Amino acid sequence: MRLVSREKVRERMRIYKRSIREFARTYKENKMGIVGLGILLVFVFMAVAAPLIAPHSPREMWLAEPLSPPSKEFILGTDELGRDIFSLLVYGTQVSLLVGLLSTLLSVGIGGLVGLIAGYYGGVVDSVLMRITDLFLILPGLPLMIVLAAILGPSIWNIIFVIGIVSWPSVARIVRSQVLELRERPFIEASKVANASDLRILFYHIAPNVAPLVFATAVLGIAGAILSEAGLSFLGLGDPSHISWGMMLHYAHEFGALEIGAWWYLVPPGICIMLLVLSFVFIGYALDEILNPRLRRR
Amino acid sequence: MGLREYAIRRAIECVVLLILATTLNFFIFRLMPGNPLAMYIENPMFKAETKQLLIKRFGLDRPLWEQFLIYFKNMFTGYYGISFRYLKPVSELIFGPRLFNTVVLMMSSTLLAVLLGVIFGVVSAWRRGTKVDVSSLVVGLVLYSMPVFWLGLLILLVFAYYFGILPFGGTITRGLHHQNLLHYIADYLWHLLAPMTTLTLINFGSYLLIVRNTMLDVLTQDYMLTAVAIGVDKRTLLFSYAMRNAMLPLVTIVAINLAFVMSGAVITETVFSWYGMGRLIYSSVMERDYPVLEATFWFIAVMVIIANFIADIVYAYLDPRIRY
Repeated sequence: MRLVSREKVRERMRIYKRSIREFARTYKENKMGIVGLGILLVFVFMAVAAPLIAPHSPREMWLAEPLSPPSKEFILGTDELGRDIFSLLVYGTQVSLLVGLLSTLLSVGIGGLVGLIAGYYGGVVDSVLMRITDLFLILPGLPLMIVLAAILGPSIWNIIFVIGIVSWPSVARIVRSQVLELRERPFIEASKVANASDLRILFYHIAPNVAPLVFATAVLGIAGAILSEAGLSFLGLGDPSHISWGMMLHYAHEFGALEIGAWWYLVPPGICIMLLVLSFVFIGYALDEILNPRLRRR
Repeated sequence: MGLREYAIRRAIECVVLLILATTLNFFIFRLMPGNPLAMYIENPMFKAETKQLLIKRFGLDRPLWEQFLIYFKNMFTGYYGISFRYLKPVSELIFGPRLFNTVVLMMSSTLLAVLLGVIFGVVSAWRRGTKVDVSSLVVGLVLYSMPVFWLGLLILLVFAYYFGILPFGGTITRGLHHQNLLHYIADYLWHLLAPMTTLTLINFGSYLLIVRNTMLDVLTQDYMLTAVAIGVDKRTLLFSYAMRNAMLPLVTIVAINLAFVMSGAVITETVFSWYGMGRLIYSSVMERDYPVLEATFWFIAVMVIIANFIADIVYAYLDPRIRY
C-alpha cells in the first residue's frame, strides 16, 4: 500500500522549499545569526582542513624546548612535551565539533522520543516518563558526568555518550510541552478521524511541527555540550589520544604554565572554546528570535 | 483544585521522586568497576585475614540486596557510613569546613550575579534594541560562552602572575600565623576574591540573559499595552507591572540553582585549589570513595526536590492559574 501519492509529496516539497527560502531571508537580516554562522564556518574549515593548516602533527614531540615561547617556527610556542601548540589547537577543533554535534544528536534523539511519546499518549505513560525525566534533572549535571566518565574510562566516544545521556531531560520537557499543545489542534483531530495510525500522526504530523523549536534548542545544546566537554577534559577525564582544547588547558594548569606566565599556552585554547561556543549561541539566539513568534517585536 | 490539594499532590510526587532518586543513587556507584577497597587491601603489607576483615567491616561481603536495604535505611536515618579513603564518618567530612567554604563561595557569587543580572537585564529589556541593550546582550552571551576554568586561569594570570596582588590559590595562606580573627578573615577574603569574581561573572552572564528574556516576555503582554494605553506612568509600569511579573520565574531559577550549591563549584574549586565540596566530590570519584559520593549526591537530590517543591507552592499561591 502506498501511503502518499506522488503529487502530495511534490506539494509538500514545494511548501518546504518556500518556507526554507522565507527562513533564509529572515535569517540574513539577523546580524547575530550572520556573525555566528561566519565564526562557525571558519572553525568548520579549520577542522576539515586541519592537516593542511597545521604545520606539525599534534603527536610530534620534542620539536623544541618544552614550554618555549612563541617564535617564528612555532607561532604559539610549545607545550610541556615540546609539541607545537598551534597545531594542537587546529586539530582540537575536530574534537570539539565532533563531541558537540554527536552528543547533541544523542540527547535530542532520546529527549525528542521521550517528549513525543509522553506528550502524545499522556496518562500513565506520560507520568512514568516524566518521573524518569525529573529523576535525571535533580541529579547534579556535572558531577554525574564526572562519575560516568570515570566509570567508562577515557575515550572520546564515552565523553559523547556521557554528555548526551545527561542532557536529554531538558529536550524531553520542551518537546513534551509542544506536543501537548499540538495534540489539541484540529488537524490532529482530523487525521485521527481519518483513521491515521498513531505512528503516522506522531512522526508525520506532530514531529515536523515540533522540529523548528527543537532545532533552536539543539543548536544551544551544542554550545552546552562543547562547554561540558571542555570542563570534563580540563578535569583530566578526556581522551589522551584526541587532544581537545579543554585538555590543553588541563595540561597547562597541571604543568605550571601559570607559574611561569606561559600566556601562549593558557590564552589561545580558551579563546577557541569561547568563540566556537559563542558562534552556536549566536545562531541559537537568532533561530529562537525567528522561530519563536512570542519574542517578535510588537 | 484548591491550593491544599495541589500541595498534597505535589508532596506525594516529591516523596516518590525521593525514593526513586535514592534507589538510583545506590546503583550508579555500584556500576563503578574495580574493588573500592583496592587501594587499601592491595597493600602487600596486609595479611589475607586483614583484607577479609576490611571487606567485612565495610559490609562489602554481603549480597547486593542486603547492602541496598542497609543503605536505604541509613540514608533516611542520618547515618552515611565511613569514607573509604579518610576512614572517617562521611558526615564529618561533609559537614565541616569544606561545606562552609563552598557555601561562602557559592552564596556570595550567586548573590552578586543575581543583583547585577537583574539590573542589567531589566535595563536591557526596557531599552530593547538600543546600544545599551545590544552591548549588554553581547557581554552576557560572551560571559555565558566562556569556560569557567579559563576565566579563572585568566584572572590568575593577570592578577596573580603579572600584578602579583592575588594569591594563586588556596583558602588561607599556608603556614601563616594569623594574629587574630580579623587577620584570619582578611586573609580568607583575599583568597576568596578571585574564585568569587570568576563565578560571579560567569553566572552574571546567564542571569542577565534570563532576566532580559522574561522581561521581554512580560513587556509584550496585552496587559502591558493596556497599561500604557490608560496612561500609567513609566515608573509604575516598570516597577509594579513589569518587574513583579518578570521576577517570579527568576525566584524559581535561583532557588533551584542554590539547591545545587554543594556541587556548583567543582571546576572553579579545582582551578583555585579552594578547599570545598567540589574538590571533595572530584577526588572521591577519582579514589572510588562511594560513601562520600552517595551521601553528597543524596543531599543534593533532597535539596533540589525541596527547592522545587517550595518554588511550586509559592508559585501556585501567587498565581492561581497554575493549579488548574
